[in-house]
Amino acid sequence: MDSAPAEAEERVEALDGEVAKPWVTIVWNDPVNLMSYVTYVFQTYFGHSKEKAEKLMRDVHEAGRAVVSSGTREEMERDTEAMHGYGLWATFAKDN
Amino acid sequence: MARRFESARRGVTATLDDDERALLGGLLAEVSELLDDGSVPSTDPLEALVGAGGPTTPPADPAVARLLPQGAKDDPDAAREFRRLTEKGLRARKRETLERARATLERPGALVLDAEEAHAWLVSLTDVRLVLAERLGLRTDEDADAVLAEAATSTPEDPRVWMASVYDFLTWLQESLVAALMERQGRR
Repeated sequence: MDSAPAEAEERVEALDGEVAKPWVTIVWNDPVNLMSYVTYVFQTYFGHSKEKAEKLMRDVHEAGRAVVSSGTREEMERDTEAMHGYGLWATFAKDN
Repeated sequence: MARRFESARRGVTATLDDDERALLGGLLAEVSELLDDGSVPSTDPLEALVGAGGPTTPPADPAVARLLPQGAKDDPDAAREFRRLTEKGLRARKRETLERARATLERPGALVLDAEEAHAWLVSLTDVRLVLAERLGLRTDEDADAVLAEAATSTPEDPRVWMASVYDFLTWLQESLVAALMERQGRR
C-alpha cells in the first residue's frame, strides 16, 4: 500500500486530535438558580433521567462547575445558548 | 396571599391576589424592557436568514449582562463571536417568554397554565430573580442566605429589604412551580 502524502497524514492527525479532544459545555454555579430548577433544565433540555440530572446539578453546586455536554464546537455553542436561555451561566471550551 | 403552583388535571394552577398580580406583571414588564435594545426586527429577508450581527461586547448594565453572559471564558475572540451571533436572538426570545407569562395575568380568576405557559413562567421567574439578585448584590450562596435572613427580620420600609422579600416570594413561587412541573413529568 502506498504511503499517504505527508500533507494528508497531517490532516488525519489534526482530525484525530479533534476527535480525541472535543468541545465541552460547562455550567457554572450561581447563588440564584434553584437546585430543583437546574435539575429540571438538565432533564428537559438534555433528556437526562432524574438521577443523572441530579448528579450533574450536585456537581455544579459542589465543585462550582461541571461539564454538561461534549461534541463539536457548533453543538456546544448551541447548548451554551440554550443554557443562557434558561438563565444558567454556561460557557463552551475546547476540552483539555 | 398567594397559593403555590400546583399540578391539576386542567394544567398548572396558582392563586394570586391583586397586589401579587400587579407586582408580578410589573416585574415581568420591567425585565422585558431591560432586554429591549431598541432594535426593530429586520424586514430584509437575507438579513433575517443569516441573522444580522449583534453586539460583540457585554451589556453595560450588570443585570442585563447576567441575563446575556459571556459564552466563552478564556477565549475573548470566541466570546465576541458568540455574542455577535446569539445576543439579539436571545434578547428577543427572552422578551417573548416574559410577555407570554405576563399575558396570562390578564385572564381573570386563578392562573391556569398550559404546558407552554408554565414553561414561560418558569424561565421568566428565573430571569426576574437574576435581575433582583444582581441589584441586591448576591454573588455567593452565603450572600443569598444572608439577604433572606435580613428580609425576615428588618423593617419593610428599607427598599433593599423590600426587594429581598420580593426575591424571597419569587423563589418560593418558582420552587412550587418546579415541583408542580416535575410531578407532571413523573406522571407521563
